[in-house]
Amino acid sequence: MQNKLTPKNIILLLIVCFIPLLLFGIDLLARLLFDNFGIDLPIPGASSILRILALTGLYVLLAVGLNIVCGYTGLLDLGYVGFYLVGGYTVGLLMTRFGFSYWIALPLAVLNGAFWGLLRGVPTLRLTGDYFAIVTFGFAELLYQIVKNEEWLIGNVNGMVNDIPRASIFGIELDQNLYHYYHILILIALVVFVSYRLQHSRVGRAWVAIREDEQAAESMGINISRYKSLAFAVSAAIGALGGAFFTQLQSNLAVEVFEFWESILILCMVVLGGMGNIRGAIIGGIIIGSLGEVLRIVLGFNPQLADARFLIFGIILILLMRYRPDGLVFRKT
Amino acid sequence: MSVFLLQLINGLVQGGIYALIAVGYTMVYGIIQLINFAHGEIFMLGAYFALILVTATPLPFWAAVLLSMVFCAVLGMLIDYIAYRPLRNAPRLSALITAIGVSLTLLNLARMLWSSRQRTFPDDSKPAIFQSKIDLETGEVFNAIPLPDGAILPYTDIFIILLAVVLMFALNRLVHLTKIGKAMRACAQSPVAANLMGIKTNQVISVTFAIGSALGAVAGVMVGLREAIMPTMGYHKGIAAFAAAVLGGIGNITGAMLGGIIIGLAEAFGGGYISGGYKLAFAYVIMIVVILIRPSGLFGKSTAQRA
Repeated sequence: MQNKLTPKNIILLLIVCFIPLLLFGIDLLARLLFDNFGIDLPIPGASSILRILALTGLYVLLAVGLNIVCGYTGLLDLGYVGFYLVGGYTVGLLMTRFGFSYWIALPLAVLNGAFWGLLRGVPTLRLTGDYFAIVTFGFAELLYQIVKNEEWLIGNVNGMVNDIPRASIFGIELDQNLYHYYHILILIALVVFVSYRLQHSRVGRAWVAIREDEQAAESMGINISRYKSLAFAVSAAIGALGGAFFTQLQSNLAVEVFEFWESILILCMVVLGGMGNIRGAIIGGIIIGSLGEVLRIVLGFNPQLADARFLIFGIILILLMRYRPDGLVFRKT
Repeated sequence: MSVFLLQLINGLVQGGIYALIAVGYTMVYGIIQLINFAHGEIFMLGAYFALILVTATPLPFWAAVLLSMVFCAVLGMLIDYIAYRPLRNAPRLSALITAIGVSLTLLNLARMLWSSRQRTFPDDSKPAIFQSKIDLETGEVFNAIPLPDGAILPYTDIFIILLAVVLMFALNRLVHLTKIGKAMRACAQSPVAANLMGIKTNQVISVTFAIGSALGAVAGVMVGLREAIMPTMGYHKGIAAFAAAVLGGIGNITGAMLGGIIIGLAEAFGGGYISGGYKLAFAYVIMIVVILIRPSGLFGKSTAQRA
């Protein structure tokens, strides 16, 4: 991320904003070709591509969020999916049970995510390395088990929440993939902005100091507990924001979405981009997120192969740690 | 009463299996301070290897089990050689992420090769003592001890408990009486000092991986006899076994054995009396509580005992 709106960045921004227009243009062209000349171009429709892009955007959001704990404070979080789950179910239940509007449920989900982040973060403040990783993992698995088992809470077996209403804005229901695309784009912009401002502030410098040497940071007068807790809360809030958006993309929830491997997938994105690097997290999210979706579709002819597509991510993790431990995008901050 | 007895036996059997897996985690952690996430997958592959050998070849069951142990031992050493050894001096998080990568790779490889379907050992491939059944008409019980209230205690369960005890005892003797065991203990105390004393650290680590993986393979076959074989079995049982290793004080072999039994019993009684749906959660809760309150585990970690 550059500090200013350089021409290069503005062009990039415009391209991202006008991708849907381009896709619909291609769609129109393909239809014209088919109607007038009978040529059937083998390209997927704009709407399905936008859906993949929206989902990829969701992963970018989560990767930027995870990057705060993994990258800035240098702690390995293996349970990030737990906050994603909290956000998803907060919005899902508030909207279906209590008839909340999405625009009220969304900030509540973010707050709830931050709350759970603190709840998990405070007891683990003094843990480092493996032990921190294990506790975060166990925490997410516990949430998973609770959602799976507590029918009174969720109202259905296996954490099913169905028919979550769509958000609407000025009377327009946001039910098209086009809207999802812009929805996630705005959320990403917000999260990247917050993350960037934090990184280049007193807070961000304190985080990096803690990552590099906790004792030295403490002796320099940095309040370790406070800054670590802040990192946990912000990161968890972003995870919950992702979960909230997910309810809009899918309109139903099932607990299987929030399995442990999803955490690893997000971790893989952060590692690919290089931990502690917002740009890296974004690029990692785009690559891994879209790769996962494309593989799911390409391998769709064989469910067994599609099921095993995570194989690639395992290999990516091994190779990265071996040859590029700092990720593909250099410039460690 | 009968429910209690059944859960007790169930817990002990599960505990024995967890103990067999847990020593694999704990021995590796004791020496190179790495949580070998892939250990659960090795355990799963051990079950699959044995299953394939008995169904696709005319090999007898026991030969298949032995071969599967050898196979897993080699696989364990290979994983160490390819994935972990190059990272010996890298930050510990890198090795941990690599371990997760290996685990993810093996799990999905199994999915790709054998699908997510559950499998069991076909009845004709199992030795007679593992084929317990009740004749419904006469009420006669085969290969099992009848218990009050019509329940039975299959010989399989007794065998698993005995086998776990024997293997644990053998491992204990190996670590304390043999030269390689002494080398392992030395490496656990200080790899650098051990190296300076002429111990080939890398070889010792390889042997550690081999022993842990072979024991994991045995545990895999035992689970295959009692329950089902599927790609995710390594993940679920692996976590419970890891919780056992943490509970016993990671790096401590005796602790891992006792931790395994405790986790097994906690799951059996918790699942039986509190809530069946939360069976898996008990291990997680125990693991988190131990790490937060007493990270050195129940049985402490005196370095002399660690190996």
